[in-house]
Amino acid sequence: MSRLELYSPEGLRVDGRRWNELRRFDCRINTHPQSADGSSYVEQGNTKVICMVSGPKEPSNKSQQNSSGAVIEFNVSIASFSTTNRKKRSKNEKRTIELNTTLERTFEQSIIRKLYPRTTISVNLHVLAQDGGLLAALTNASTLALIDAGISMYDYISGISAGLHDISPLLDLNTLEESGMSFLTIGVVGNSEKLSLLLLEDKIPLDNLEDLLAIAIAGSHRIRDLMDQEVRRHANLRASKLVK
Amino acid sequence: MDILKITQPEALSQDVESDIEMSDNENEVTGNSLVTPGELVTDDPVWMKGHGTYFLDNKTYSSVAGSVSRVNRLLSVIPLRGRYQPETGDHVVGRITEVGPKRWKVDIGGKQDAVLMLGSVNLPGGVLRRKSESDELQMRNFLKEGDLLNAEVQSIFSNGSASLHTRSLKYGKLRNGIFLKVPSNLIIKSKNHSFDLPGNISIILGVNGYIWLYKTPSSGRKNNINASSNKAQASFDAKGGYNPGQGSVSITRLEEESSWEIYSDKNDPNITGSVRKNIASYYNIIKALSHGELGITEQRIIMGYEASLAYGNSGSLIEKEAMESICEDVLNSEKMRGDAS
Repeated sequence: MSRLELYSPEGLRVDGRRWNELRRFDCRINTHPQSADGSSYVEQGNTKVICMVSGPKEPSNKSQQNSSGAVIEFNVSIASFSTTNRKKRSKNEKRTIELNTTLERTFEQSIIRKLYPRTTISVNLHVLAQDGGLLAALTNASTLALIDAGISMYDYISGISAGLHDISPLLDLNTLEESGMSFLTIGVVGNSEKLSLLLLEDKIPLDNLEDLLAIAIAGSHRIRDLMDQEVRRHANLRASKLVK
Repeated sequence: MDILKITQPEALSQDVESDIEMSDNENEVTGNSLVTPGELVTDDPVWMKGHGTYFLDNKTYSSVAGSVSRVNRLLSVIPLRGRYQPETGDHVVGRITEVGPKRWKVDIGGKQDAVLMLGSVNLPGGVLRRKSESDELQMRNFLKEGDLLNAEVQSIFSNGSASLHTRSLKYGKLRNGIFLKVPSNLIIKSKNHSFDLPGNISIILGVNGYIWLYKTPSSGRKNNINASSNKAQASFDAKGGYNPGQGSVSITRLEEESSWEIYSDKNDPNITGSVRKNIASYYNIIKALSHGELGITEQRIIMGYEASLAYGNSGSLIEKEAMESICEDVLNSEKMRGDAS
């Protein structure tokens, strides 16, 4: 298909990883304490995302009020310098709207909405650089920022992408790999095997799907642990400061 | 299936693991332990489920990242951060966002706006009566959108929003100062939340993290009666000894004090340059304390002010180094005091 060899016979991928290896995952919580209720920064390989949560707050628009639970708004903005080719993106691009809706649907399940009637929770995501796994990074950043904002959630949602090259599943794809094979993105609820998000935009043979999901879920659990570590690190730091 | 990573951050995981195991093994919750969303807090059904937890299959899980608190049989998780949660009796600073039928909506930094009913404010002139239709029509003359006020939380509605009142002269519209916002968890609840600071400045430390710094009223609260040339008040004072408690006001004085002036929009015309400068330094000191995530108390602000005198220009306090050194100074002088006493 493509000229580049995405997966060599020796079992190495374009960036030298094995099939089941994640890219470097780095996350920070509470990065903007003054300007948002909750904030986070996530790097998944070369994909970099900032997230800021404001709320629960009084809705700006009366008609949005919902007396049974919070209204959750996502707003993804992709910087024009985020890809190798600079490209002006309009706010209402179909792709961005789809991302917003997907994330809204995912987190509506995870946030305990009934605790926050008549309020809005707005999640603003800024993509600084993209190199594959965008939706996964957005999911992880949102989870962390929502935790930082002290919003009640049933569990972590950790996202990861995985693709199928020939018959071998590959974990956490970068842009090159994404363009060369069909892949899916999942969001896993905590340490369970429940999915709250599954996005597959092209075709994958049914026989291989289970393998692919298995590796993706295992990868998600690893991401969850890394996020949990960061939350605990920050929590300990904060707890040590508050004690007088 | 083993998942490897290219680069691994310094592992804290051992620490974390032991934490979980401990609470699992003992089958009960440990005092100040940290939990994160989705973590099992206890599988003992005797505990009552409080805030920050949820209940599934006879097990209680945490829904926020924070510390576990146990009060008798009530188990709750207190989040590390989060919006202000109003409680009855809190002294708060707020901003009017909306004028509605017989009520104002007030932003107090909580999840929802609080309401201030027309019936829970003082009328100009201090007349005590039912509010009539004409009062309703001139609500905007009392308080309009964007006005700042301080008030007390009167009660909490079942959906968690608060109802305020300003039925005391220490509450009401704010003037002659500057507004400042800090995270509400930095404000430590105490008996009194309004203080006079050195340098002719007063402060209202709203429990909700909204702060008002202003020029100390020209005749301090206690001297108010003496300073006033009002004859009626003079005779009132001549009765001798009877001194209404700080802040609270007897009904007779309420009448004279609460003229239309309490709802005036005009600032005091003579706020001197030095007062303005002091306000600016206090503003920056509080910003510095909140930068260092130190709890904000009257004493700490004063200590910070003393430390800030070393800097000639109050504008230089916003530098990161200055903020950090102020926080250090405050902590140091606190230690010294602790040793002395």
